[in-house]
Amino acid sequence: MGLRSHWDAGRLPDAIGVLTRLILGVVLIWAGAAKVTSPALSARAVRAYQILPYDLAGYVGYALPVVEVLVGLLLVIGLFTRASAVVGGLLMVAFIIGISSAWARGLSIDCGCFGGGGTIAAAQTQYPLEILRDIGVAACAAWLVVRPRTAYSLDHHLFG
Amino acid sequence: MRPDAKKKIAAAAPKKGPNPVIIGAVIAAVVIVAVVVAIVIGSSGKSGGTGAAAQPSGAVAADAGGIVANAVPAKSNAPTLDLYEDFQCPVCGQFEKAMGPSITTMVAAGEVKLIVHTLSFLDDNLKNDFSKKTANAVACAADAGKFLEYHAAVFAAQPAQEGAGYTDAQITEFANTAGITGPALTTWQRCTSSGQHAQYVLDTQTAAEKAGVNSTPTLKLDGKDITKTLTTPESLITQVKLATK
Repeated sequence: MGLRSHWDAGRLPDAIGVLTRLILGVVLIWAGAAKVTSPALSARAVRAYQILPYDLAGYVGYALPVVEVLVGLLLVIGLFTRASAVVGGLLMVAFIIGISSAWARGLSIDCGCFGGGGTIAAAQTQYPLEILRDIGVAACAAWLVVRPRTAYSLDHHLFG
Repeated sequence: MRPDAKKKIAAAAPKKGPNPVIIGAVIAAVVIVAVVVAIVIGSSGKSGGTGAAAQPSGAVAADAGGIVANAVPAKSNAPTLDLYEDFQCPVCGQFEKAMGPSITTMVAAGEVKLIVHTLSFLDDNLKNDFSKKTANAVACAADAGKFLEYHAAVFAAQPAQEGAGYTDAQITEFANTAGITGPALTTWQRCTSSGQHAQYVLDTQTAAEKAGVNSTPTLKLDGKDITKTLTTPESLITQVKLATK
């Protein structure tokens, strides 16, 4: 098989790759940036899930936005794509579990994904939508873990 | 040399690009440092929880938060109501309009022991400090023996638009409305302007979160959350009667 035909075969997957990378990256940056300037609010949003002990939930609330922004940046520039996608994907899985758990226990909370969070009226909850969105984003992460090679990535420029 | 051969030679040579291990280590270090800094900054704004905060008159145990609103102790068989409110919460304002008079009547008759937890989490949502300010002011009013009166005055003047808050002039006016006068008013003013109970206010918020109270208003009857069962003042009065031993 010649070099040329190999490139042709990889073109579409590379394009899908860059799309999934940007979706995952932008969602993470957006989510992180919305929370990073109000750590107290973020901590309270995590506590509203009533899963982690009080202090630990606080630490997660403080750290999570920072991790989201940094991993999102790595994905957008395409550096260490596979490792970043693993982290991003695990975050999404954790969010899906957390939201499902809140739903199953009958809590009425906002997921706090993009700021906000905490208890809201039962009629305002959007669990199915939040879970579907996170599944979609997790699928992007899964693609990148399986096939981290994408178009326009720093990985490609730096490491070949 | 054929142009084709040049490419092949270049491709066969060992890569001279940057070392992924070093770059990876640097990025990992940046992430770890950023996370640690975020946790330190986030935790620094929290209350110490040392119990060293100046407790207002009528405050329950330091780690529980809340102020007993009964001017005269409730009857020994009276149940306990724990009311969690934020002075900036519009639903709390509606709750006070609907339930406040009945609760006040029961408190005055000693039929119920009322513990009010003045929360301040809305300051973070609304990016202001009116919840903490008014919570401190009502704690100062408790020192003057006018907790419920001041509490009622604040809710009566709650702005129609959430986040508009209360002016300093209003906060002083509430003291007049509550009937704080003379030397007590001087003490109240000193207490308010110095933020004497500011740490207590933070501790109250922390205690409520630890108790799993994530929204306002929340009303607990003998520790059980009955907020969602309340439709009319009568529904509250009935439950209080049932809980009376």
